Formats: sequence, C-alpha cells, structure tokens
Amino acid sequence: MLLNSVIIVLREVLEAALMISVLLVLTRLLHANGRWLWRALLLGLAGAVFYGSQLEKISEFFDGVGQEIVNAGLQFFVFAALLVCTFLVTRSFRQSTERPRLLPAAMAWAVGVAVAREGSEILVYVSGFMQSDNFFANVSMGSAIGACIGFSTGVLLYYLLLMMPPGRSRFTAQVLIALIGAGMCAQATRLLIQADWLSVEGPLWDTSSLLSEYSTAGQLLYALIGYEASPSMIEVMVYVGSLLLMGVMFLSANAMDRGPAEATA
Amino acid sequence: MPKLIERKLIILFLVATVALPMVHAATPEIVLEIRNHLFEPDIIRIPANTKVKLVIFNLDSTPEEFESYELNREKVIMGGRKAVIFIGPLSAGEYPFFGEFNPQTAVGKVIVEDENDAAE
Repeated sequence: MLLNSVIIVLREVLEAALMISVLLVLTRLLHANGRWLWRALLLGLAGAVFYGSQLEKISEFFDGVGQEIVNAGLQFFVFAALLVCTFLVTRSFRQSTERPRLLPAAMAWAVGVAVAREGSEILVYVSGFMQSDNFFANVSMGSAIGACIGFSTGVLLYYLLLMMPPGRSRFTAQVLIALIGAGMCAQATRLLIQADWLSVEGPLWDTSSLLSEYSTAGQLLYALIGYEASPSMIEVMVYVGSLLLMGVMFLSANAMDRGPAEATA
Repeated sequence: MPKLIERKLIILFLVATVALPMVHAATPEIVLEIRNHLFEPDIIRIPANTKVKLVIFNLDSTPEEFESYELNREKVIMGGRKAVIFIGPLSAGEYPFFGEFNPQTAVGKVIVEDENDAAE
C-alpha cells in the first residue's frame, strides 16, 4: 500500500515538476522574476480541489466520457499556454530590453492547469482512504514520499539545465518545452480515442519489448516527452504536428524582430 | 442549384439516420464490476479487430482507476459510479489491465481472439 501510493503520487507530481523546472530555468535565463510560480501553485491547488470534488458529475457528461473530454481540453489548454510561452520567451531572448508582461501569466496558466489536473487525481486517490485509519497513515506517508521524489527530480533537472552553458541550457529547455507540449497533445488524443470521439486502427508500432512503460525509464520518459510504447497513427501525427506548431512559434518569434527593414528587403 | 443542395442534404440525412445507429449497434458492450477491489469478470474475451465498449460499475465506496499500459487506457471511476471506456480494434493477444489504486488485488486481462480461433 505504501509503495503503491509512492508510485501513484510520483507519477502525477513528476509531470508537473518537470514542466515547472524547465519554465523556471527559462525565467532564470531571462533574468525575470519567478514569482509567477506561487500564483500558479495557488491556482493549481484551488483547481485541483474544485476538479476533484466535481469529478463525479463531470464523468457523467457526454454519455459517460466527460472525464476524458474535460481532461483532453485541459491538456490542449496547457499546450496552448506553452505555445504562448515559447513565442514570448524566444522574443525576449532576442530583445532583452523588452519584458513581455504576458509571459509570467502564460507560465502561471500552463503550470496552474497542469497542477490542477494532476492534483485532482491525487486528491481523489487519497480521499478514497480517508475513512480507513489503518490505510490512511500508510497512504499519506507514501504520497508524501512520492511527492518528495517528484519534486527532487524537478530540482535535479533544474540544476542540470543551469549547469550547462547558457546557450545550450536555453536550447535544451526550449526543446524540452516542445516535447512536453507534444506529449500532452498525444495524451489528449489518447483520451479522445478512449472516449470514442476519434476512431483508430491498431498501433503503428510497438516498442514495449525495447522500453516498457512499466519501467522507471519508461515512466520518466512518459512524464517528460509523453513516451508511449504502442501509439496509433493519429497520436503520432498529433505529436509531430504539435512539435511543428511549436517550431513555427519559435521561428516566427525569431523572424519578427529582424525588423521591417529586413522583412521588406 | 439550391434544389441540388437540398437533395444532397436529404440524402446525407437519410444516410446518417440509417448508418449511425448501425455503427452504434455494431459496437459490442461488455459489463464489468469492481467489488471489494476485484474485477468481476477478471478475464474478458473479445474478437480481434473490433471496437468494444466496456461499461464498468464500481460497487465499492472508494474510487478506482482503470489502467492498462497495453490498452493505453486510464480512467478514474468514483465509488458507486459507472464508467464507459472504449477499447480496440485490437490484434489477437493478451492485454492486462489493473486498478491503479488497488493494484495488488484489482487485476484482469482482455483476451483478444481471432474469429477463426474463437469458432474452433
């Protein structure tokens, strides 16, 4: 029971922790203020309590697939916020004089909504054991350990990224944001398939014998880049499409401040 | 021109009213129960290359999460509630699933069979 809680909570915390680390690294590299994180966590906590308490009702929506649809919507929302982040971060790196006001807000929304979605699942899990005293102690202990490992992994990634030379650190962080975003879109797509809003044929490939989703590496890669051993065609297309969209954001932000003179030339 | 569009719309409507229920009727439904953190039945047999609708009733008072890496499925089912999960179309083989909140007891698998094998 203890070990199980560690794993469940770790899996949920890990995704958010990795995203927070990468966004904080970008904030740091831009010499911007990291205060947005507190707003994000507050939003996430409030959102998690609300979503968790309403999950029973939400699940009944759309003929019993409300949970999938709302979760997929939240995932796409986080992706949209990450697109905005990528655009503004790229622009800020080009023009260090200008500090877009929208950037902290976009980061706060991305993290806040991600925390709300994952936090609600932890709350639902822990609340299931509230009544039984003998389990509750184990479950809360396990959850705390899982959360700590998740946070530590995030801190580790943060310092690993900051230890690199600034140019490489920035590049790696921006690539990671793109991969995290694409992973979320693939997850959302999987939920729409589960709800039968999207139809699929069988999986495109199966790498579960190479890297199992049960393994630690598989879990870590799932949280970081949305690793999936047997994806369907549409998941792969959405994943690649999301990466391309992120690339377009990056390129257009870079092209913008070359100035009108160069653009007309 | 408008008449043509009108006719097209009527045809579309007719096709939709006939075809949609057929698609729906073609999706077989399998009912599962969760009781005392156990799946009942814990082995489900379905034909290959067919989409199947799983209807899972959680008869426990505590929430459970239906999870399967092989099926790529994941869904929280609150206590005393039911959930709908679509799986497939799948190729023949075994696809384990488990209740993530009680993985020691809540385990089961979907066995996907080729039509020929099932007939034998």
